[in-house]
Amino acid sequence: MTWLQLLWAELKAILAEKDIVLTVFGGVLFYSVLYPLPYLNQVPTEQMVVVVDHDNSSLSRQLVRHADASPKINIVAQVGSITEAQQWISESNAHGLLVIPEGFRRNLLLGKGATLSYGGDASYFLIYSAIAEGLISAGMDASKQVQMVGLLARGQNPKQVEQSLNSVNINSVPVFNPSLGYTPYVVPGLFLLILHQTLLIGAGILGAGQWRKKGYWNEVSPLALISARLTVFCVIYAFLSSFYLGYCFYWYGVSVQASLGEVSLFMLPFLLSTSACGIALSCLFVKRELPTQVLLLVSMPILFVSGFVWPLALIPDLLVQVSQVIPAVPAILGMLELNQMGAGWMTVLPQWLQMWALFALFSLLAYIGVKRRLSTPLLRE
Amino acid sequence: MRALLNQELKCLWNSPWQLALVTYIPLVSILCLWWLFSAGLPRQLPVAVVDQDNSQLTRALTRNLTANSVIKPIAFSQLSDAEAAMKKAEVYAVVVFPHQFKKSLLTSGSPTIDIRYNSQFLLVGKLLSSQLQLSLGAGLMEVAGLKQLLNGVNSASVAVNLSPVTSQTTALFNRNNNYVGFLVPPVLIALLQLLSMMVFVNSLNESLIKKKDSYLIADNFWSQVGCKVLLYTPIMLLHGCFILVLLYGYLGLPIAGSMSLLVTALALMLLAIWPLVILVFLVMREPASNISFGSALFAPAFAFMGVTFPVNDMPLLAQWWRLIMPSSHYIDSHISVISYGADTQQVMLQFLSYWYFLAVAVMAWGLYKILFNKQQKVNGSKSDKLFFKHKSSAKPSNNNNPGAYL
Repeated sequence: MTWLQLLWAELKAILAEKDIVLTVFGGVLFYSVLYPLPYLNQVPTEQMVVVVDHDNSSLSRQLVRHADASPKINIVAQVGSITEAQQWISESNAHGLLVIPEGFRRNLLLGKGATLSYGGDASYFLIYSAIAEGLISAGMDASKQVQMVGLLARGQNPKQVEQSLNSVNINSVPVFNPSLGYTPYVVPGLFLLILHQTLLIGAGILGAGQWRKKGYWNEVSPLALISARLTVFCVIYAFLSSFYLGYCFYWYGVSVQASLGEVSLFMLPFLLSTSACGIALSCLFVKRELPTQVLLLVSMPILFVSGFVWPLALIPDLLVQVSQVIPAVPAILGMLELNQMGAGWMTVLPQWLQMWALFALFSLLAYIGVKRRLSTPLLRE
Repeated sequence: MRALLNQELKCLWNSPWQLALVTYIPLVSILCLWWLFSAGLPRQLPVAVVDQDNSQLTRALTRNLTANSVIKPIAFSQLSDAEAAMKKAEVYAVVVFPHQFKKSLLTSGSPTIDIRYNSQFLLVGKLLSSQLQLSLGAGLMEVAGLKQLLNGVNSASVAVNLSPVTSQTTALFNRNNNYVGFLVPPVLIALLQLLSMMVFVNSLNESLIKKKDSYLIADNFWSQVGCKVLLYTPIMLLHGCFILVLLYGYLGLPIAGSMSLLVTALALMLLAIWPLVILVFLVMREPASNISFGSALFAPAFAFMGVTFPVNDMPLLAQWWRLIMPSSHYIDSHISVISYGADTQQVMLQFLSYWYFLAVAVMAWGLYKILFNKQQKVNGSKSDKLFFKHKSSAKPSNNNNPGAYL
């Protein structure tokens, strides 16, 4: 069997296996739509807030209107007491409350100061932060208004008033994901993980279905089989990766900083090491339904340990070190740095070399595994 | 029935992987995922501080940043170095005090403090942005107070003059914004759902009868299913209870309602998972495909729970898809019991949303009827109906050799 024939046989074997096609092609396409689906609206807006207005003055009403005008807040009701507001929140009709104390306007005009209370449902962090941001900015605005009126009343010049109110500007700007959108945050890391997991499952099912049976894989040397399998999976995934990193990133508005050459150069060891890992893992299985289960179980831990959801510094060291043998872990962080955060090639060089090292390691393991599998006697049909 | 149950137990005993799935794998993965987030509160996140002014004021502001538990300021002398560190994700934000910051402030200019935070790591970035502004704001307030005193303002009214409206922000139900209380329960519930799906699919796969290249459904399919439900619901429920005890018993996270309601909700979630799995099983009818399809269906459940990203802001399609997942029905009850202390009546009302799984069960039953009739027709001609009846108990589809696994 020549090498080209072997390649052809591998490709046919992959396409003939319904489960591999379902996982590799179906899974990748299906997830490219399904996973980002909940996040398409990017930022949580118009969170429902109830107001407890004990003051009922012109200023408190203005404050409520200003809060309602914030894109983050939607005032759904005004209720008489905090207990009633609690009822609204526990029935999930509202997620936050604003309490305006009695004598709010009067105290401010008398120069006594007043305290506004905000509450947000911290069972949902994004809702809480949206409510807190919206209400605080409305409150600060009201505060500045009152201050300005006070200063003007004391005969200060309006220009100076403006200056003393905003003596220092704090210019806080998000970078790398300027819209603070949820899709650009989740998609880059998640998509690499999907490629990684489906590739491992595909290679796993292919191997598990072949060992101990008779077929073209018995007619070639382990080295030829591994190299052919690596090539075929890498070529298939080169296409799928370009769909993910190219079209999907564009479609979901993910910021892209690196050049095509850099991204391809970075993806090369990722695909190679993942394919080698998949072949090595496949030697552990003989039942076709097992690879999917094992890899499905480890998906969530890999996602969280890769360090873009939860800071690496807070993950126990042992977990971080153990996770370094998973190709997706250096790949996700490296790719985020290279492609989303615009770091130079030298910055991601350690991750790149790590993936090459993993490729070497898994190739060796795959060689040992495949050799053992091919030398064990065949199962009688 | 007892014979079937015995047979089920024997199957379980003879399958090392299935045995692992119902015993130590859930425990290990639950503990691992909790361990990952066990830090709970984000603390000491590195922030680059570029002080181009180097005045007493900017140093005081930097000390203010140090005093914040979330922030760990790291001094950089060059902006370009700070930028490079940011791109390497070594720091999550950069604070720049401009040249002649203090002078400009004293001569009533309005200088600008620049903050850049990494929003590619959204949760960390947002947290840092608000904490940095809070710390700097508090530090600047002192300066402004000094200025007022110099202008001859009565010391009693300085505070009011500075901020006439003070605000008190309360994080309801999760006072200290603890990530363990926020993220770990939905993550573990998603995990439990995946595990339950696998356990049930594996067990259903045992009931398939292999005949040459195709698989056939057993005659007594539904009584087998009944046995599996009787066997696996309590086992998986036990793992669910382990999650609840770990989080709300051992770790002592606040819980407002009663634990028994949550256990009921968990049981209902499991009972809702089974019909979905049966439907998938009947549609695919091939061991590996059952698992692949089930995984494809259940793997993204976490994203759709609506804890990380609010349900109201999801597109309509996502909200519909969300209802297909039993875990999202459960998490609603979970949060209302944990946070709002919902009583039995409220939770029972929420349970009504499970009606749709009854429809799934009916669909599965209908599909079974169709398949079975077809199967009978094909095989009726060969008149080997007896074969099915006995085959199901005699030979499950896999080989019983334990060495065959892994």
